[in-house]
Amino acid sequence: MNWMVAGPEIFYFAAGLFFLLLSFTAEQNPDAAARRRVHLTALLIASVGILVCLVSVGMEGRLFIRAYRVDIFSQVFKTLISLGLFLIICICGGITDISERRHHEFYFLLFTCTLALMLLVSADHLLSIYISLEVSSYSLYILVALRKNQSLGLEAGIKYFLVGTFASAVMLLGMALLYSTSGTTYLTDMAVVLPGIINRPGVVIGLLFTLGGFFFKLAIFPFHFWAPDTYQGASNQVAAYIATASKVAAIAVILRVLAFAGQGSVYLVHALVVLSVVSMTLGNLAAIVQKDLKRLLAFSTIAHSGYVLLGILVLSPAGYSGAIFYALALLVMEFTAFMVIVELASDGRNLQIKELAGLHRRSPILALALMVSLFSLAGIPPTIGFAGKFLVFVAAIQKGYIALVIIAMINVVVSLYYYLLVIKAAYLLEPAEPLPPIGVSLPKKLLAGVSAAVIVSGGFFPYWLVQLAQTAARALVWKG
Amino acid sequence: MPMHIDPARFPCLSAILVSCAVGMLTIMLIPQERKRLMKQVSVFFSGITLLLTLYVFFAYDKGLGGLQFVENVQWIPSLGISYFNGVDGFSVPNLLLTGIVFFTGVLTMWELETRVKEYFALYFLLVTGVFGLFMSMDLFFIFVWYDVSLFPMYLLIAVWGTTRKEYGAMKLTLYLLAGSALILPAIIFLWAKSGLDTFSFVSLMQPGLFTPQAQKFAFLLLFLGFGILAGVWPLHTWSPVGHVAAPTGVSMVHAGVLMKIGAFGVLRVAIMLCPLGWVYWAQLMAVLAATGIIYGALAGLRQTDLKYVIGYSSVSHMGVVGLGLSTVTVEGLNGAVFQMFAHGVMTALLFSSVGYIYDRTHTKLIPELGGLSRIMPVASAFFIVAAFAGMGVPGLANFWGELLVFVAAFRTYPVLGVIAVLALVVTALFMLRVVQKTFYGPENERYARLPDMSLSLGIPRIILAAVLLILGLYPSVLFDVIRTASVPFMSGLLR
Repeated sequence: MNWMVAGPEIFYFAAGLFFLLLSFTAEQNPDAAARRRVHLTALLIASVGILVCLVSVGMEGRLFIRAYRVDIFSQVFKTLISLGLFLIICICGGITDISERRHHEFYFLLFTCTLALMLLVSADHLLSIYISLEVSSYSLYILVALRKNQSLGLEAGIKYFLVGTFASAVMLLGMALLYSTSGTTYLTDMAVVLPGIINRPGVVIGLLFTLGGFFFKLAIFPFHFWAPDTYQGASNQVAAYIATASKVAAIAVILRVLAFAGQGSVYLVHALVVLSVVSMTLGNLAAIVQKDLKRLLAFSTIAHSGYVLLGILVLSPAGYSGAIFYALALLVMEFTAFMVIVELASDGRNLQIKELAGLHRRSPILALALMVSLFSLAGIPPTIGFAGKFLVFVAAIQKGYIALVIIAMINVVVSLYYYLLVIKAAYLLEPAEPLPPIGVSLPKKLLAGVSAAVIVSGGFFPYWLVQLAQTAARALVWKG
Repeated sequence: MPMHIDPARFPCLSAILVSCAVGMLTIMLIPQERKRLMKQVSVFFSGITLLLTLYVFFAYDKGLGGLQFVENVQWIPSLGISYFNGVDGFSVPNLLLTGIVFFTGVLTMWELETRVKEYFALYFLLVTGVFGLFMSMDLFFIFVWYDVSLFPMYLLIAVWGTTRKEYGAMKLTLYLLAGSALILPAIIFLWAKSGLDTFSFVSLMQPGLFTPQAQKFAFLLLFLGFGILAGVWPLHTWSPVGHVAAPTGVSMVHAGVLMKIGAFGVLRVAIMLCPLGWVYWAQLMAVLAATGIIYGALAGLRQTDLKYVIGYSSVSHMGVVGLGLSTVTVEGLNGAVFQMFAHGVMTALLFSSVGYIYDRTHTKLIPELGGLSRIMPVASAFFIVAAFAGMGVPGLANFWGELLVFVAAFRTYPVLGVIAVLALVVTALFMLRVVQKTFYGPENERYARLPDMSLSLGIPRIILAAVLLILGLYPSVLFDVIRTASVPFMSGLLR
């Protein structure tokens, strides 16, 4: 067995362990310098993590009695997840609403969760999928509840936990059904057995229930209830992590399971069409009335999950690469929007939309980054978000789902309304009393500028990224 | 469509886009307080752009016809997307129109003092999108440019606008993006149906590539999608509200050029790619266009706000364009494209003149104005010239566009043609009424001592009025170019 293949996993496991050990040595009341040291250490480790992941791109192999698959698809996603972690840690510098004593644990959980997400994108066996999903969820439950504001954080954590365990239970039931009908727990073996029996009720229900666990992660109807409350209750940085890295991994695992096991089922596709349409419509309509920026983003994420599902349910390589591209786009866009929230709410409070008033004068660069990320989320060209939607829609129309695409486009128009409301707040409204300019440190300014530039250039020159997504998608097409 | 590729030629079309983009970036780099410098930079770059469009207009080889100034670079080969620019007889006039309105729009906003930097940066972005759309020969890029030219609109209207600006801006943005919601699926649909794996317009234009059924379906989506932007009745309601809310320079671009994008999109994408769908839906187009002409005229009759008057007259005049497109004749196409150009210049001049009046008097309400021709004769003269052009007075550009469209319409749809001409009489009536009430009659004492237009502010208006006059006297300057596209296209269709 070649352990080098699992390089990223080993690295993040070691990093998690390192922070766990470090937490034993933590002082009761660490000063600012100590907190800064921890943050810089985490930043350094996360940036090395990206390198480790990059080096491991291109490796292939199977581990743990074939339960674990390393291929280009999983490695691309691991790189994305490591990038997500790095970006999130970048904005954790001034984190104030996690108790000072708990910073080691905070990073420990972030790294553990990242490890679990990486395991998830490589898992090739029902049990390894289940375990990695649970490890990542449990880390997140605690991360959400860690918020200093006890009632908000705890409430969010418990809601998240309850919906999560329910989804897990459904998923286990689905897995049991799948096993009982197909007689195997390996995804690769299922790809052989299932096509023959794909339209049996047990298989369709089993697959749908199994997907339920991932739908919970991605916040797809009917497992979306946790998203707004959890985003609102979690500290801004944790919400950002859930919106980026966690979503990316969820997209990956849905792709993997459906690509291997979902071929040829009409009923399954119909069910997915319904879920996709309901998710995007519900998310967009609910987002219109939100006053809290994080809640708004939570509902918009539900809608985005609907668009992603649209790319997945066409079950074609073009759709897979569209969904992979969309995952990448989501990572960048959501991060940029959350970074602005974190910078504005420097005391860790929840940001109301009306608090954005006068942002264009208080910090032009943050206002610009927010506008670019929101236009990208709305799917206006030339942004990376538009390129993602375009690829997904192209795949869907190739397979004849033109009505579905028109519904999705109408949803895009609806979503533009509330994105414009936010942009209006940032560019038009003036605060009741004049507020001072926001002091944004140079690295943060750079980060905001680079993020905005990436969003725009990813829309103008998506060539390399599209190539990457197509390469990764090719690994999904099962070759017997 | 014949293509004339000359690799040695300077890439004029890309240079236009680059000049706009560089202008925008330069403005963004100038410190906030150097407002005058920003305006000078804006004039400089828009001037270069105007010169480039003039060059393209006069260097376009009318004997050769077809697609010229071709630039083609692979963009995303796996999807068949390429950065493919070129101009034909339909797009050359529109490029020039954009150049003229862009340049005069910058000059018109010379007195702007609030948030100058953001205004001109967004304005340049908007115009970049418009230029891109007129020159692009790749469906993917056409869609991208369409959206690029729309979304700066929201901020431009909502920040610098006037009457009910936030409502107007939101309505306009949502309507126009609803249009894009129909266009994008249609474009991808055509791409998937063709099986050629290319978004290149020239490849997709092969006759017989799409089944009649597919053409009918795609045409409807494209016509409605672009039609929203062209102000096709009953999807026009964003347009008067948006025109009124927008600041002067944006109103000019908006009514002058953006609505032309819609009509141009109908012509370029819907009609040229789905000619059978065009023939099939032509009667619907004609009815909607005629209704728009009548509705715009009647609604305009009742307005008391100067900008609303122009807004509704735009609906009416764009109806003329639509009627021309719906006749399925060479004359109809020629007239429609000519009318697009003429209306663009005329309406820019109208908004530009009203902008001057509003900046001085701070009102656009007709009952509060009066006798302005004695207070500010020069400013009034510009408005009156434009209003006469709008009435279709011979000697000014619009006359020729309307004449051709109606000649074609009489032949194809005699009843609708007669009704539409009668509606134009109503348009003339309300234009005259506005001119009479605003510029003649008793003066309003409050405005009696306001200054007349200075020479520097007069320059953009002079340019626009001169264009109207020149084209009114020498319409063949434009017709000869348009014909190079319309005649081969229609003869190809009849075969």
